[in-house]
Amino acid sequence: MIEAIPFLLQGLGTTVIITFGSFLIGAFCAVPLALARLSDIVPLRLLATAYIEVVRGIPPIAWMLVLFYGLGRYVTLPPLLAACLALGAVSTAYLAENYRAGIQAVAGGQWEGAGALGLSKGDTFWRVIAPQGIGVALPPSASYAVGLLKDSAVASVIGVSDIAFQALTLNQQGNPGLPIFLAAGVVYLVVSVPMAVLARKADTFIRTRSAV
Amino acid sequence: MIDNQQNRTQGAAGTTDAQKAPQLQLKDIHKEFNGNTVLSDISLDVNAGEVVAFIGPSGAGKSTLLRCVNYLETPSSGDLLIDGKPTVKIASKPTRNELMNLRRQVGMVFQSFNLFPHISVLRNVALPQERVLGRSRKEAEERAMELLTRVGLGDKADARPSKCSGGQQQRIAIARALALDPEIMLFDEPTSALDPELGGEVLAVMQELAATGMTMLVVTHEMSFARRVSDRTVFMADGRIVEQGAPEQVFGAPREARTKKFLEAVLER
Repeated sequence: MIEAIPFLLQGLGTTVIITFGSFLIGAFCAVPLALARLSDIVPLRLLATAYIEVVRGIPPIAWMLVLFYGLGRYVTLPPLLAACLALGAVSTAYLAENYRAGIQAVAGGQWEGAGALGLSKGDTFWRVIAPQGIGVALPPSASYAVGLLKDSAVASVIGVSDIAFQALTLNQQGNPGLPIFLAAGVVYLVVSVPMAVLARKADTFIRTRSAV
Repeated sequence: MIDNQQNRTQGAAGTTDAQKAPQLQLKDIHKEFNGNTVLSDISLDVNAGEVVAFIGPSGAGKSTLLRCVNYLETPSSGDLLIDGKPTVKIASKPTRNELMNLRRQVGMVFQSFNLFPHISVLRNVALPQERVLGRSRKEAEERAMELLTRVGLGDKADARPSKCSGGQQQRIAIARALALDPEIMLFDEPTSALDPELGGEVLAVMQELAATGMTMLVVTHEMSFARRVSDRTVFMADGRIVEQGAPEQVFGAPREARTKKFLEAVLER
């Protein structure tokens, strides 16, 4: 089990890249998606809702296969990029729902108060609503990031050499499975536990700062 | 006081000096919600420096009328003029620019304060000045400090609004609205969420503001405030103005039966 660890650690960097890459894509793209989801413009709202429901309703592994093998006929994406894009698209849907909950949790009087002062919609959103909503959106988003770290293991099916892929390789070379996969589990834990702790810290910090 | 008396009679009678239009004119303001008439063709002139109190039972449309003045509520039809100039071309379809201009001239204070909880008291008062009037941060914060001191809260500048009492929060909200140099101030039941003692602090600030010549429209359940401070008291019921006049007249010798009934119910408590 111990001997397997250095080989597994070679996959750690890749796992971290997929996790952070797809989370960043999601964190960024979820902003316009959440706004579209809350828009007064009906087609925009329907489109956003449809995206969120469809993407969340299908397992991430399926998106990965579609993106890599399905589109492989027309564009060849490097496996790592395909993995980041597929999980990024899924993160976008989940995080958009967290953002929406955060935005909606802010009292309606805040929009009115800002409107009566003559603040523009953009100023109202970015300077009044978003800083308050983030306290609500952050905890579920942080747990989602930890979940994403584990979900990133599905990238091994398209040949991205992450932790899971390294473990599979060792196993296929004839090594006994149990210690190898246990060791892989430990490597995941080494990253996910500190991430969870950090998420909780960030949450407490933001809560005391914004005092919602 | 004598000036106010003259203003009041002019306003009440609806006669206006030809050279000088009333500062605020509402003409046939009509508002419907899903087919229910909430305001039926309300017309009202308010002169510069006048303090108008709106009293009446719940559901009379007082708050809705007030909210039509800064377009937080969009009237179904009617005209809103400031200094004789129409503020919105098509009453039911205000453009973004028209709203911005209107709200620069009209400040508002809410029952629920609506302060921003995530920033300090000082930033609450300074931020809108920076974003709406384009003042520098330094300039805005100086002005904020000046106004907070005026409402007696200079020492709360660095605190979060949640650390202040309700009465203090409402005085901060008044300072925040005044910081944008409005010409007209709207107060929507400013003391209804406060216990009587804290409400008193807010009313004192409002009385002082009235004395400086600010034009004020106040929806209130504080009859003694309406009676003492307003130049004109407007009694509304069922989406209409039933009666208006000098407070001594409306409270002392109401002409309409509906007004009498309301005042008896309220004043005998």
